[in-house]
Amino acid sequence: MDLSYTLEQDAFRAEIRSWLAANKPANPLVTLECREGYDQHVAWERQLASGNWGMVTWPEAYGGRGLDLIQWLIFEEEYWGSGAPLRANQNGIFLLGPTIMEYGTEEQKARFLTPMAAGEVIWAQAWSEPGAGSDMAAIKTTAYRDGDHYVINGQKTWSSRASFADWGFGLFRTEEGSQRHKGLSFVLFDLDTPGITRRPIRQLHGHPGFAELFFDDVRVPVENRLAGEGEGWKVAMATAGFERGLMLRSPGRFQATARRLVELFRKHEADAAPSAREAVAKAWMDTQAYAYNTYAVAAKIMAGGSIGAEASLNKIFWSELDRAMNRTAMQLLGAAAELRRFDDGSMNDWLEGYIFSLSGPIYAGSNEIQRNITAERLLGMPRVGAG
Amino acid sequence: MDMLIAPERLELAEAVRDYLSGTHGPEVLRRLDAGPNRDPAIWQGLVEMGLTGLLVPEEHEGLGMGLLDAALIARECGRAALAEPLVDSAFVAVPWLLAQDQTDDLAAIAAGEQRVLPAHTINGWQADGDGEALDSVDPLRNLSALPADASDDPHLLDLGALMSAAQLVGLAEAMLDQAVEYSKIREQFGQPVGGFQALKHKLADVAVALEFARPVAWRAAQAMDDGAASAPVHVSHAKIAATDAAFLAAESAIQVHGAMGYTYEVDLHFWMKRAWALGGAWGSRAFHLKRVDDAVIGGALAIGPEHTFA
Repeated sequence: MDLSYTLEQDAFRAEIRSWLAANKPANPLVTLECREGYDQHVAWERQLASGNWGMVTWPEAYGGRGLDLIQWLIFEEEYWGSGAPLRANQNGIFLLGPTIMEYGTEEQKARFLTPMAAGEVIWAQAWSEPGAGSDMAAIKTTAYRDGDHYVINGQKTWSSRASFADWGFGLFRTEEGSQRHKGLSFVLFDLDTPGITRRPIRQLHGHPGFAELFFDDVRVPVENRLAGEGEGWKVAMATAGFERGLMLRSPGRFQATARRLVELFRKHEADAAPSAREAVAKAWMDTQAYAYNTYAVAAKIMAGGSIGAEASLNKIFWSELDRAMNRTAMQLLGAAAELRRFDDGSMNDWLEGYIFSLSGPIYAGSNEIQRNITAERLLGMPRVGAG
Repeated sequence: MDMLIAPERLELAEAVRDYLSGTHGPEVLRRLDAGPNRDPAIWQGLVEMGLTGLLVPEEHEGLGMGLLDAALIARECGRAALAEPLVDSAFVAVPWLLAQDQTDDLAAIAAGEQRVLPAHTINGWQADGDGEALDSVDPLRNLSALPADASDDPHLLDLGALMSAAQLVGLAEAMLDQAVEYSKIREQFGQPVGGFQALKHKLADVAVALEFARPVAWRAAQAMDDGAASAPVHVSHAKIAATDAAFLAAESAIQVHGAMGYTYEVDLHFWMKRAWALGGAWGSRAFHLKRVDDAVIGGALAIGPEHTFA
């Protein structure tokens, strides 16, 4: 264990800090969940790529910088610390990207990773179906082989970013008559392929952040399949591991929220409840604990280890921590909590943050599913009945 | 920057774990509870492993290891609910003596011939001291009245709090293990009770609390070893996180055991009582929360994503 950064790491931190200071949008962008905001965020994604900051851990050949996970964490700390916008392509760079890196062919890596890092292709994910939410192995949408194409029929839902994105990735049943985890394949598809209908779904906050996708004889080339036919579940679990375990929610984002919460508390200190004071101290403690744990996971991966079922512990922790911090802010704001804009005209980011935080314990596998995984796979508790 | 504990550093702690699980099981706790609750043979075994000299510098016949190594072994002492005052003497008092350049007794301490039992005003008692006896809920703790010359040195307090946090991690881990094992064998409604989600989710919450208490404790130990100015804040964070995890583990474990958990017959109570004791020792929750509060809300510590290791 060594709690100090190297000179090289310090220099890297200084480099990203100064780039962000010079290039970060001067004003907050409109929310990513609507058309106008999506376009602004994609433009920012391309500006990041122009500075070669799209995905620093990827090899240079694919638009990355070939850096290690500690440098990625430093990048993330500076990124979120500077107040830079959300990443429009997070489904691509943090979930699909590492999965392609592990399972893709050289041809697929060149074809998909480079435009992903450049922000030229924005990705949506398509896991859930109306009858397959927490029980993802209940997937029914089929992609049966017809020569050198799959023909997709069925329906996906809660597809993040799909209202506006360019491409999607998901799990489809490629073997007729197959059941549960078997016979599924991981397929990438252009969202503008004939036969795909997108129906944006209005979310709690009023914006169409996700969509339903209807597939009607959608023809997708077989070379868009990642890994072998029928190996989709294994690939999807790897993606989920990245999602829950390391990349999707880096600690910097929550540490920045904790700092904003401390600042909010200082403004409201005179009329704050004693419980809020403890909640604010706890926000710092828990975000720090999450950061230490993430640094340890990164070091473990760098030493040749992998992320296992402990990713579920992570997902439970960050999602419930985020909700608790935003709830504390709502309580501190009191009567102003419901205002979309404060008296001074600034956006009430805490309201947006609180609403968004309610989705954390649901998406990427509900926290109930994560608790089952924790109990059964980490603790070894019995799998019996419906439990 | 490396938050990984090197495998070779874990080896000694793992050897201690194996040794204690082989020689210091629940039957030993029951024997100690029934008779004299200190056993020279157990102490001698710890001495022979070199643990009394773990933090004593090599020139004084010790192993010259660091506070992180000691914290990893304190965790094992918690896991075994060890009654002998190894942690207090070798991991709390020794580094405190070293910090004051008091080296006269170190060789005797390393050899196991002498113990130094720390007395700090924050506790109001001394463990394994010579004063008038006090009655602890933990039958394996020997408390006595605080001596008049007790210290109020914050450095001693930090060492005591850090090593309590490490023991609490081990205590919580042991209680979680006991609850999981019991949930596999106790059957109701025709199945092991551990198959019910209500119990799975309860114990999953303990696993989460532990996962995010452990790195805090190790980071605090390293910060103290480094002599970092911010170390006291990280020690307080560790004490709070470990205490909360241990109380959650205790309450969840007794619930999983049902009425059996409320008996003296089931082993759980030894661990639970030690957790209650150490949770309040070396600074209450209020004390440690105030130190975090002063640093974070008071502004003494740089916070936010750019300051993870401030």
